[in-house]
Amino acid sequence: MMSSLYRIIVIGRNTLTESLRQKVLSVLLIFSLVLVCCSVYFSGIATPGLDAAGLFDEQIKFVKDFGCGAIGLFGFAIALLSTAQLIPQELQTRTIYTILAKPVRRSEFLLGKFFGIVLLLALCVALMSLAFVGTLYWQEWQGIALVQNVYGYGTPSWHADSISVGQYNHEIDLIDTQVRDPQLIEAVLLIFAKLVMTSGIALLISTFSTSTIFTIVTTFMIYLIGHLESTAREVWLGRGAETSIWQSGLLGFISLLIPDMNSFTIVDEILSGNHVPWSHALNLLAYANVYLIILLALSIVIFDYREL
Amino acid sequence: MTRLLVNPAAECLPLARRLRRAFLIALILGLWAPVKILWEQEIGAEQDLLRYHGVTMSRELRDQLGQDLTIGVLSGMRSVVADYIWMVDLTIAWQQQEWFKMGGYVNLCTSLQPRSIIFWDIGGWQLAWNASVAAARDHTEPDPLRRYKNSQFWIQKGLDVYLRGIANNPESWKLWADTGFLYEQRLGDIEKRNGQHQAAWDAYHKAAYYYGEALKRPGCMTFYERWPAYMYEKAGDDQAAYQAWKDLWLSLTPEEKKQKQHAAEKIESSIRDLEKKLSIPNEKRVFPN
Repeated sequence: MMSSLYRIIVIGRNTLTESLRQKVLSVLLIFSLVLVCCSVYFSGIATPGLDAAGLFDEQIKFVKDFGCGAIGLFGFAIALLSTAQLIPQELQTRTIYTILAKPVRRSEFLLGKFFGIVLLLALCVALMSLAFVGTLYWQEWQGIALVQNVYGYGTPSWHADSISVGQYNHEIDLIDTQVRDPQLIEAVLLIFAKLVMTSGIALLISTFSTSTIFTIVTTFMIYLIGHLESTAREVWLGRGAETSIWQSGLLGFISLLIPDMNSFTIVDEILSGNHVPWSHALNLLAYANVYLIILLALSIVIFDYREL
Repeated sequence: MTRLLVNPAAECLPLARRLRRAFLIALILGLWAPVKILWEQEIGAEQDLLRYHGVTMSRELRDQLGQDLTIGVLSGMRSVVADYIWMVDLTIAWQQQEWFKMGGYVNLCTSLQPRSIIFWDIGGWQLAWNASVAAARDHTEPDPLRRYKNSQFWIQKGLDVYLRGIANNPESWKLWADTGFLYEQRLGDIEKRNGQHQAAWDAYHKAAYYYGEALKRPGCMTFYERWPAYMYEKAGDDQAAYQAWKDLWLSLTPEEKKQKQHAAEKIESSIRDLEKKLSIPNEKRVFPN
C-alpha cells in the first residue's frame, strides 16, 4: 500500500516537473497573472458621476469578477491542455512502455499522472490567487484614498462635522468588508474544484482517445453542456416543456452522465457580496470529489483494458 | 475474408476483456447515476432556498447576448459577460443618449446577475434620473406635455428596475432606500412643483414606507431613521409626521440621544414645533410646557 502510494507520488512529482518545463503552460500562467493584475484597469471604466461609495462598489465588483474570471479561464486552459496531452505524449515518446515494464500498475501510473496535474493546478491557482489578493489590496488603498479625498480627511475642517465623520467611518468599513471578505476563499476553492473536475473529464477521455485535439474538443463540449445540465435535468424530470421520447432520451443521457457545472456559478454570488454558507460550499466540494473518484475509477477501468 | 484471417482463439480473449470492461463501466455508472441525480437535485433545491437565481439560457437571452457572449455565459463567465456589457455597451448607449438601448442593457445585466445590487441600483438611477431628465429637456420635442409624459415614462422604468431588484433581493436596504429616494425626488417633488398635490402626497407616503423598510434591513445607514418623518412633513401630513418623530424619539435610549446629539436636537425641535402646530394637549405632549 505504502509502496504503491510512493510510486504514485514519484510519478506525480515528475509530471509536475515536466508540466512546469512546458513553455505553453508557462506563457499561459504569465498571461493569467498579467490579466488578474490588469483587472484594476477595468475598474477605471466604472460609471462616471457616482458618489464615492457607489464608485468603489462598482470598481471592486469589476476587480473581483475579472480577477476570478481570469483564474477560472486560464485555469481551465491549463487544466485542459496539460491533461489532454498526458497519455498521448507518453505514447508518442514511448516512455510509457519503459515505465509500465517496471513494477508499476497502470492504475498507479494514471493516478500519479493525475496527481501531478492536480499539483500543477494547485500551484497555478495559488499564484493567481496571490496576484488577485494583491490587486484587491491595491484597489482597497485606492478606495480609501478616494473616500478620504471626498470627506476631506486630515484637513483642518475634519472632525468638525460629526455626521460626515460617521459617514466616512461607515464607508471605510464597507470598503474593508468588501475587500477582506473571507468568502473569497470559498470562491477560490470552488473554482479549483471545477478545474480539477475538468481535468478529470479530460483524463477520462484521453484514456480512450488517440489524439490530443479530440480530447480537448470533447472536454470543452462536455464543459459547456455541463452548464446546461441542470436545465436538461429539470426538463427530463418532467418540470419543463413536453418532450418526445428521443429528446427525453438525450436529456436523460446528459443528466445521468454530464456533471452539473452550473452549480459552481454560485461563485458569482460570492463575488457579488452575497452570503454563501460554508455548508453549501462544502456540499459542492464533496460532490466534485465524489464525481472525481467516479471519473478516476472509469479512467482506470478503460486504461487497464486498453491495448497499448 | 477478414474474419477468416482472425484466429478464433485469439478473438475470444479480447471479447471477454471487452465484456468485462463494459460490465465494470456499466456497474460504476449504474451505481453513480441515481446518486448523482439526487445529489444534484438537493444542491439545486439548496441554491433555490438560498435565492441563487442562476440564469436560465433562453432563446430571448441568447438573441440579446449574441454568439460570443452566449459562449461566455455557457463557460461559467456570467459575471464577466455582465460586467463587459455594463462597461462597454451600456456606457456607449448612455453617452449616445440611446435610452431604449440602455434600458435593454440594464435589463440584460440584471437578468444575468439578479443578485448583484449594483446593477439594480445604478441601472434604476440611469433610467429614472439620466434618461428621464434628458427626456424632460429634449427640445426636439416641442410639446411640453409630451416631454413631461416621456420623462415620467423613464421614471416608471427606473421604478420598475428598483421594484424588480427588491423582489430579487428583499434583504438589500440599499434598494429599498433607492426606491424611497425615487418616490421622493422623482415623483413627489416633481408632482408638488406641478401642483399635483394628491399625487405628491401619495408619492411622499410611499417614500416614507420604503425608507421605513430600508431601516428594517441590516447595514442601513442610521441617518435614514429620520427620513420617514421628513417625507410626511413634505407631504404636509403633520399628524403622521408627528407620530413618526414621536416613535423615533421614544425608540432612542438616553445613550443614543447623547451619541446622536445633532439628530436628537433635530427630532426634539420637530416634535416641539408639531405639538404646537397640532395643538396637542399638554398632558399628551412628549415635551410638555
